[in-house]
Amino acid sequence: MATHIAILGAGPGGYVAAIRAAQLGACVTVIEQQALGGVCLNWGCIPSKALLSVIELGDKLKKAEDLGILLPGPARYDLARMVARKNKVVAALVKGIATLFKAWHIDVVEGRGRLVDARTIAVTSSDGSQRQVQADAIVIATGSSWPQLAQFPIDGITIITSKQALDLDAAPPRMIILGAGVEGCECASLFSGLGTQVTMVELQSAVLPLEDEEVSVLMARELKKRGVEVHTGTTIEQVAVQDGVVRATLKDGSALEAERLLVSIGRGFQSRDIGAEHAGIALGRRGEIVVDERMQTTVPGVYAIGDVVGKAMLAHVASAQGKVAVENILGHPTTIRYEVIPAGIFTLPEVGRVGLTERQAREQAQADGRDPEQAITVGRFRYAALGKAQATGDITGLFKVIADADSGTLLGAHIVGAHAADLIHEAALAMETGATMPQLAHMIHAHPTLAEGLQEAVEDLEGKAIHQVKKKS
Amino acid sequence: MIPTDLRYHNEHEWVRLSGTQATVGISHFAQDALGEIVFIDMPKAGAVVSSGQQIGEVESTKTTSTIYTPVSGTVTAINTALRDHPEVVNSDPYGKGWMVVIELSKPAEVDQLMTAAQYEAFLASQKH
Repeated sequence: MATHIAILGAGPGGYVAAIRAAQLGACVTVIEQQALGGVCLNWGCIPSKALLSVIELGDKLKKAEDLGILLPGPARYDLARMVARKNKVVAALVKGIATLFKAWHIDVVEGRGRLVDARTIAVTSSDGSQRQVQADAIVIATGSSWPQLAQFPIDGITIITSKQALDLDAAPPRMIILGAGVEGCECASLFSGLGTQVTMVELQSAVLPLEDEEVSVLMARELKKRGVEVHTGTTIEQVAVQDGVVRATLKDGSALEAERLLVSIGRGFQSRDIGAEHAGIALGRRGEIVVDERMQTTVPGVYAIGDVVGKAMLAHVASAQGKVAVENILGHPTTIRYEVIPAGIFTLPEVGRVGLTERQAREQAQADGRDPEQAITVGRFRYAALGKAQATGDITGLFKVIADADSGTLLGAHIVGAHAADLIHEAALAMETGATMPQLAHMIHAHPTLAEGLQEAVEDLEGKAIHQVKKKS
Repeated sequence: MIPTDLRYHNEHEWVRLSGTQATVGISHFAQDALGEIVFIDMPKAGAVVSSGQQIGEVESTKTTSTIYTPVSGTVTAINTALRDHPEVVNSDPYGKGWMVVIELSKPAEVDQLMTAAQYEAFLASQKH
């Protein structure tokens, strides 16, 4: 008889796990309280990209006359229509998952699921009816929660999360964004594009504080170009809402005012109230579900994937973890690896990254007892020097590669600029396969493409980029 | 033609002195080397700066370059018109392309800067 797998949550972790499990012959039941596709598809990655793509076009239209497009006047945004289009895109993708589920005979149970024991999930549907799902194995894919910090009470109107921000029908005159991480910077790009006066507040000393320092510096400048005001190294101590205006007091006592405060910090793990304790599943210090490299929790037969396990909180990592979990359940032993995780930040301009930052690479070299200056080489190449970038007008940006000087392998790559998140995959493949930098430089790259920038950055490791003036010695 | 009423810094900034106020911009040579300028990041009015310090950046379609202040003092004005029209620095580097005005705290520093003739010789020496 087929193995029955119950998957709790249909986000990018859960739905991918479900399809892979069905492909491998399992009988699959997915329990989802809200919408197929989870946060990523319904309120995160896809919605924000749908909206940001319009701003990208609008940015280009600002240069219409230079480009030779004659418009009767400046282009204007209709956010309500943008949101309606976004909703259509989302609906089509959600339907696409439903179609795939149908094709693979995957059962969907609508409702809120809680583990009763290691083989049973009790589901309460929205109408209050209850049922139980029995399975040979369970995969928990409940994701993460929206920010819920006591000092920033989300009211959904004045103090909002990105979920509400992506569904506004009119751009507020002013917006404060708390947190200049990935989501904060993407929302800053979006709303500054719409004409909102955006002010960001970030506790760390830089925007995108987890990225390579050069990426942070470049992004700070790009945000400034968009008219975004950034306060780093501080935070909001106090908020007060009056007459639809939020007043935020910073650490130094200064105050900011805006019609909206977007809280872009403090996501939690959806590990509470899912019955983990009934099954005896151990949680980590931060509330994440503890798993091994096969994605199994401390309870045999119960697996967990995605944001709730607190590794890289990325949709594509959740999907990868989901495949690993069900493959292990179904007798195909495999383990998850986190060394090569390409990721995109869909700011304007975009960021693509994989592997270590320069600082991390040098620190690692030092920890290995090597001279961090000698052990690591860095190559750079600017978009502006690419024929393709000049032709399309996408001249802002940088390719940066970080290599091990001895082995010649790639340790990290960081791209800022048009299509950066797509372009990063060549670097990711090089890391995955252990390709050396001479191999990458030797491979013929098509002209004219932005991908030539990666090749030139790799050539720059040895000061041999063709379209770059020799570095000062 | 290098204006003779200005003083020049070896990072290619110029200074126009008016009483204790110095207007600062970048030279024709600098704008020409940079190419089409697309963005200028300038300090805020009120910023206290000291000579040789980085006070901003100029981004062109080719590169990004640092703006250094040749003089010390307090920034009293910035050329806000450059925010929307940075290309003015290309077309009129010594005039409408001015960047900041600094109230000098060490006026004698201006005397240390190059004269037009000295700057011309400096540029010639840089060619080799």
